[in-house]
Amino acid sequence: MPLWFARGLRRGVVTTRYPAKPDGSAESLPTPPSFRPRLLTRDVVDRMIEACPGPALRRADDLLIFDVGACTGCGRCARVAPGSVTPSGEFELAATSRAALVKTIPILGDPR
Amino acid sequence: MNPLDLLYPAGGAWFAAALAGLLAGSRRPGLLACCALSALGGAAAAAAGGWSLVYGNTPVVAPGGVAQTMTGGPLELQMTSLAGVFVAVLGIVAVAIAWYAPRYHQPSRGTAVYLAVCNLALLACLAVLAAGGMVTFLVAWETMSLACYLLILRHPRSGESARGAFWFLALAEIGFLLVVAAFVILSTKTHATELDPIAARAHLVSGGWRAAAFLLALTGFGFKAGLVPLHVWLPEAHPVAPADGSAFLSGVVVKLGAYGIALFAFRLDPVAGAWPGLVTMGAGALTAAIGILYAMRERDIKRFLAYSTIENMGIIMTAFGAALIFRAYRLSDLYAFLLIAGLYHVANHGCYKTLLFLEAGVVEHAAGTRDMDRLGGLVHRLPRSTVTTFIGTLGIAALPPLNGFVSEWLIFQGLFQGFRTGSHLTAILIVLAAATLGLTGGLAIYAFVRGFGIPYLGMPRTRQAAAAREQGQPLGGPALLAVACVALAVGAPVVLAALSRAARAVTGVSLGRLLLPGQLTVIPAHADFSAFSPTYLAVFLTAACSVPALIYLAGRPRAASVSVPVWDGGMVSFRPRMQYSAMTFSAPTRVTFDALYRPSVSVRRASDDDPAGRSGPVHYEAQVTPLFERYLYRPVIRAVEWLADAIRPLQSGDVNLYLLYVFAVILLAYLVGAL
Amino acid sequence: MTGGPTAGPAAFAAGQEEQEAARHLREQIAAQFGRSLHIRTLDTGSCAVCEQEIRLLSAPHYDLQRLGFFFTPAPRHADLLLVTGPMVRAFEMAARKTYEAIPGPKVVVATGACALGGVYQADPFVHGHVDAVLPVDVWIPGCPPSPLALLHGLSVAVGRLAEKVRGLTFITGEDGGGA
Repeated sequence: MPLWFARGLRRGVVTTRYPAKPDGSAESLPTPPSFRPRLLTRDVVDRMIEACPGPALRRADDLLIFDVGACTGCGRCARVAPGSVTPSGEFELAATSRAALVKTIPILGDPR
Repeated sequence: MNPLDLLYPAGGAWFAAALAGLLAGSRRPGLLACCALSALGGAAAAAAGGWSLVYGNTPVVAPGGVAQTMTGGPLELQMTSLAGVFVAVLGIVAVAIAWYAPRYHQPSRGTAVYLAVCNLALLACLAVLAAGGMVTFLVAWETMSLACYLLILRHPRSGESARGAFWFLALAEIGFLLVVAAFVILSTKTHATELDPIAARAHLVSGGWRAAAFLLALTGFGFKAGLVPLHVWLPEAHPVAPADGSAFLSGVVVKLGAYGIALFAFRLDPVAGAWPGLVTMGAGALTAAIGILYAMRERDIKRFLAYSTIENMGIIMTAFGAALIFRAYRLSDLYAFLLIAGLYHVANHGCYKTLLFLEAGVVEHAAGTRDMDRLGGLVHRLPRSTVTTFIGTLGIAALPPLNGFVSEWLIFQGLFQGFRTGSHLTAILIVLAAATLGLTGGLAIYAFVRGFGIPYLGMPRTRQAAAAREQGQPLGGPALLAVACVALAVGAPVVLAALSRAARAVTGVSLGRLLLPGQLTVIPAHADFSAFSPTYLAVFLTAACSVPALIYLAGRPRAASVSVPVWDGGMVSFRPRMQYSAMTFSAPTRVTFDALYRPSVSVRRASDDDPAGRSGPVHYEAQVTPLFERYLYRPVIRAVEWLADAIRPLQSGDVNLYLLYVFAVILLAYLVGAL
Repeated sequence: MTGGPTAGPAAFAAGQEEQEAARHLREQIAAQFGRSLHIRTLDTGSCAVCEQEIRLLSAPHYDLQRLGFFFTPAPRHADLLLVTGPMVRAFEMAARKTYEAIPGPKVVVATGACALGGVYQADPFVHGHVDAVLPVDVWIPGCPPSPLALLHGLSVAVGRLAEKVRGLTFITGEDGGGA
């Protein structure tokens, strides 16, 4: 008990100040991906959709429909298409409507 | 006018009621006539009792003529202040029962006999209380015991009923023998059979005989009063008697045991020393604790109430015992005060216990069962009965502002004065008794929350309970007693004034001015110790409870409100059987007092392979070891049986041997006479 | 206060009225729950990792009580229902009863990819998303959502913080802003 107390005094206050002050500790955790539209081709997108274990990715013609709410942050889409997919680092993702979590990303990598 | 003059109409009314019941009770008009006469008798008795508190002791009256020949000895009647309280209780209980009976009983031959016996018992109780002489007392006492036996045996064909009644009779007779012995000792030593001369000459009897008489009286009357371990007839007899019979037993008959002890202790047999008081107080405290502990385990409402009666009698005995102790130490004020407190508790218990038993009868009639675990939700089905029962429960749990609180508070205040005796040992013992009563009070609240909450609140646990209806149920009698409870609480100053007049007749000490300095305040026990006002307390508490009600009425949302089901943890189907049951509610006490209950638990499963019970129902049974029956009564019964077996050879059936016996005894008598 | 359009992942509307309504709602919620909020958690069949993260909120590192949020087991005392799990059909009755037992005004927050429909599809055993049974007000994605994400989500639910994800595009590149 005294050891724990002494250790605590030495470490100091560990409570985060979030949301008053920013806290960077969540940025190293898995986060939903961010896409580079210029590097996306229909083939790449189709391979990403196949790799995704859930319904987070869909393709409608030249649009990649990405459901942030359904994303588990597994990273399989990034493994399949490295370079075009990077972790977004965003964790403040709360939404007051379900539709706000569905993002449309244009597929611009195909040669016109 | 003499209070005794009011007793004659009471006795006459009850005698007439007994005749009416016997002759005409098998039809409705006869039943009603009998009950009306009984109620009139009760009213007269209540008036007589109340009047005698103020009047004091009347002289002994020996109405000769027919009465004399019937009893075979002098019929001596005297109305004393001490008996006044008990007569008043008898009167009120009689009125309540008479009001209750027409709706409870169906007219039939059995009812006719029952009513006759009931009124005979009332008459006998009155005679016991108004007895001015030993013979009258004993004859009336025995008549009362026999009448009560027949009362309990309302359904003679039921084995259970016979067993309960037999326990009552057996213990009543043993008690009677001891009481006769006590009376005979006093009577022969003082050469008198009237109670006043016995009381006057008691100090001439040697200490040893007086002590023996007191102990015999304590034990003999203790059988009737329900002192532990002499109490075993109470839980056996009360459930099998009809509701008003149980009410009568608990409301009046056990009080007669207390009256007998009070008679000997305070009037007839003043024993020197503090030990009689200590013994009585110790027995009382023990009885109170054991009574309520056994009450916690009962599922049958009437058995539960029977054990609660034992508890309350213990409280009364503690008060009387402490009064004796203070008398021995010449603290007359405290002596009178505890006598008053004990008598107050007698009156209170008479009211609320009778009420609770009558309500138990209503529940049994309406829901068809007395088992708490089969009841529930009666507050919706029997609303008015619930209100009455609630008042009775508040009273018996000694919660302010009702009467039980007032009398128990006074008893505690008296016990707290124990330090004034000056003897360390006595003071410690009195404090121990007070502590035991404190434990009892707490357990009583717990027990009565269970006794009221499980049957009346919540949801009905069985279809029978859900089908209970209030039409046709007797409401008048219990309501009268509820009003009496409230009146005894709010009118405490009046009651205490009357009781202090009665105490003056017994103890010679007038407490009136000290106890009631005016403005509806009561100074219990000692001027510098404490003070309280039951009347103001009642008013204040009612007002305080109305404040949240008023706030709600003023501030409740006016818009439409939604009614949603009770939160049950999200279960798909909540069944009423999932509620608290009577046994689970009392489980903490059962576990704590395991050493007293010594439960024997048996668990049976259909198959031992699957302890989760999937192969069939699991049967769980837990039984209390009946300590007193097994370790006290059974050995005594077996010893008696052994003795009877040993003597049986004498009764060989051979006429010649019998003639030899006759010859031998005559020879012996001749020899003894010659020497 | 309760409910809102239960839009599936396919629908997409970002009209002016919706944003106005959202802001109005936030103001209402802030007025009601701004200072103290009691949260009742409900697990409709999750893998319990979301529950771990929720439990961490009580730990000294995150300490939700400093923000005026408290956990309560009794729905009668709760203001906010925090739901995890894909709404297993066997739990539907209990979920409805819990929701109905919470007195209004109340807020329903669905959190975790399971609750948002990202892991299980509707089949005879599971609804797949909490929207199917309860009217959800705030959605918090993540698998599991970190305690900071939960704190952010709860603050959005009581109107202390503005919603951020509406403005994110999840596009990186020369002409992309956002993440």
